[in-house]
Amino acid sequence: MPDIYTPDWYDAVVKAINGRVEQLKDVPAGAWTCRIEIAGDGSSPYVSAGGQRHFLVRIENGQCTWYREVDPEDDGTELDYRFQGPATIFDEIAAGVLDPIDAALHGTVKVRGDMRFMLRQAELVKTLLEAYADGVETTWPEGAPPYEGAAHA
Amino acid sequence: MRDACDIVIIGAGHNGLTLGSYLARSGLDVIVCERRHEEGGGLCTEELTLPGFLHNVHANYHTFVDMAPPVADLDVRAHGVEYVRPEVQMASVFEDGTALVVHDDLDKTCASIARFDEEDAETFRRLHREAHGFIDLVLGTLMYEPPMAVKELTKALASFGVEKRSEFLSVKLRVETIDQFLAQHFRNPKVKAHLAFHGAVCGYTNDVKGLAIGFPLLAGKIDNWHLCVGGSHRLAHALWRDLAQHGGVMVSDAEVSRVLVDGGRAVGVRLADGTEITAAKAVVSTVSVEQTFLEFMDGQAVPEPFREKVRTEVRHKDWTLFSVHLAMDRFPEYEAAAFDPDVDRAWVVNLGYGSPQELDADWAAIRAGRLPDPRPNAAVNSLYDPTDAPEGCATGLLRQFAPFALAEGGAGAWDGVGPYYGRKCVEAWRRFAPNLTDDAFLDRAVFTPLDIARKLPNMVRGDWMMGEISLDNMLDQRPLPELGHYRTPVERLYMGGSTQHPHGFITFGPAYNALSVIAEDLGLEHWWRKV
Ligand SMILES: Cc1cc2nc3c(=O)[nH]c(=O)nc-3n(C[C@H](O)[C@H](O)[C@H](O)COP(=O)(O)OP(=O)(O)OC[C@H]3O[C@@H](n4cnc5c(N)ncnc54)[C@H](O)[C@@H]3O)c2cc1C
Repeated sequence: MPDIYTPDWYDAVVKAINGRVEQLKDVPAGAWTCRIEIAGDGSSPYVSAGGQRHFLVRIENGQCTWYREVDPEDDGTELDYRFQGPATIFDEIAAGVLDPIDAALHGTVKVRGDMRFMLRQAELVKTLLEAYADGVETTWPEGAPPYEGAAHA
Repeated sequence: MRDACDIVIIGAGHNGLTLGSYLARSGLDVIVCERRHEEGGGLCTEELTLPGFLHNVHANYHTFVDMAPPVADLDVRAHGVEYVRPEVQMASVFEDGTALVVHDDLDKTCASIARFDEEDAETFRRLHREAHGFIDLVLGTLMYEPPMAVKELTKALASFGVEKRSEFLSVKLRVETIDQFLAQHFRNPKVKAHLAFHGAVCGYTNDVKGLAIGFPLLAGKIDNWHLCVGGSHRLAHALWRDLAQHGGVMVSDAEVSRVLVDGGRAVGVRLADGTEITAAKAVVSTVSVEQTFLEFMDGQAVPEPFREKVRTEVRHKDWTLFSVHLAMDRFPEYEAAAFDPDVDRAWVVNLGYGSPQELDADWAAIRAGRLPDPRPNAAVNSLYDPTDAPEGCATGLLRQFAPFALAEGGAGAWDGVGPYYGRKCVEAWRRFAPNLTDDAFLDRAVFTPLDIARKLPNMVRGDWMMGEISLDNMLDQRPLPELGHYRTPVERLYMGGSTQHPHGFITFGPAYNALSVIAEDLGLEHWWRKV
């Protein structure tokens, strides 16, 4: 079982996503680059308080081709979507404790990009999110969420 | 005057100016033709009464500040616009001397609601919180993007299981009225009346089927009302500055009378004085559908069956606004201040609607062309913008929901009835604020629904939203399915004003969305899309 936010974990997420997407019919053609921006909130041990960890994810024809951590200062890549939120929330999503759609709906995760496409491809988006949330068995070396005392979404 | 450019835009309201600015910033040569002597359209501030009293003739309340992308993209603040968000936003005063007050602080608002019904206060808190959570998503999806079909939206809501995750959003809202939504979630008639009143001020009539769908969003921005310091026209001026600084031109006193069409393609416009301006790339109309397709073009330029649809199927709001602008030597002191002193600091006050049914009765009268006993709403901008009146004085605005055509005498009767109805509106205010005796008013000017249509002919029948607000006249159906995506049956002629999705109000939405479509057709880089 890979540790959270390690290269092995990214590979496992990619596999989980692709495994689930393969079962979908009518996957839309096209390529999207998404950036996930996780802000340290003092509760998550995986992102320092006040610090940032950013990840880029590439989806091509519904399949995840890569998932990697990038320098938060480097905002050069052309993006289709940006997801922003506190570390506790992202950790809870990755641990399957918090529903990612709830997080977006309640504004704890901010989403930017073409929402119409997201709505039109609701099935694909849901599958991607579910694979992220419960497709990988993750190890949490510094402790697993929910964290004691952390504000919940 | 220059007689050739890339893009001609008809109308220099906030939509025409916004679109012009983006296109000018994209390197295109833009001319915006405006019929009046100045830019702004609904963003109009005039000394209608006495010197030094600044009256917002049309738009007074700015509710999309910092939600609409153009506010940041076009640097409107850097061009001199200053907004104030009044700490006491709005209130309702009731016949029994009580008052419900909306603050810029949710806890205070809930405390005020709790004085009427504690459960309603908690329901409102949850509604407001929930709406705030999804406001970015909803604005991003529904207002600042070309429209989706209702069907697509409902399918997506179902796929994401929104109904299970939300207390207030549900697919059935599309067949419900705001009254029904309020009846399901709230208990106290005064609380419901205030919320219904808020919907109405935003153009969403509480008894119209389907409008419940928009209500959670309206509730989420119930405390996001801003006033533009120095008058709403400041915003228009800022937009004009941005246009001019990027090489665009706004020509005033330039009434368009014709769209020039060659081989099925829009190639320019002719002004009422005969001047012709050619447009190499596109013509965009931000005025009414009727002007654009019935007045500016004939059956040779636009297929006759489509013109017939414009004649028979374009729908307008069935009520409009009657205004009384007042120069005052004092601020109102409400009797209800004994119940809640904050009411004297409320920017906007609903004078007397105590239940949604009272509003409904007035809608019925208005639809029949009758004048209801006035229950206007009263705004005193000087409470939060002392620059809008001479020292020690106040600028007042009464707005009353009203019909365009009166049952007796039609719209023309307004010229005779206006001063009388204006007096009645002032008397209605005085009933709640007795210190507003006759000598408090240094001068007054009424502005009738007919005056709206005269000043801005694009607001057909005084339709301040430039098209009915109903579910089947929203999204990609607005104002007709053929026009729902900003393109028209004439190649390179676009619609970019409030006739289009999302609708009227100072939203910048129609221009912003038309921009996407025009950019796609002209192959422009979407530099403004910051993900
Ligand atoms: C009484 C009243 C109160 C309102 N209150 C509010 C409020 O508080 N808050 C709010 O957000 N909204 C309010 N509105 C609505 C708001 O004013 C409009 O929705 C908004 O102005 C629409 O913007 P627009 O750019 O689409 O059109 P407009 O602002 O109407 O601009 C269209 C422009 O086209 C010009 N034009 C017309 N015909 C021609 C022609 N043939 N050739 C060239 N130019 C032409 C007009 O002169 C005008 O300048 C109010 C409206 C009214 C009437």
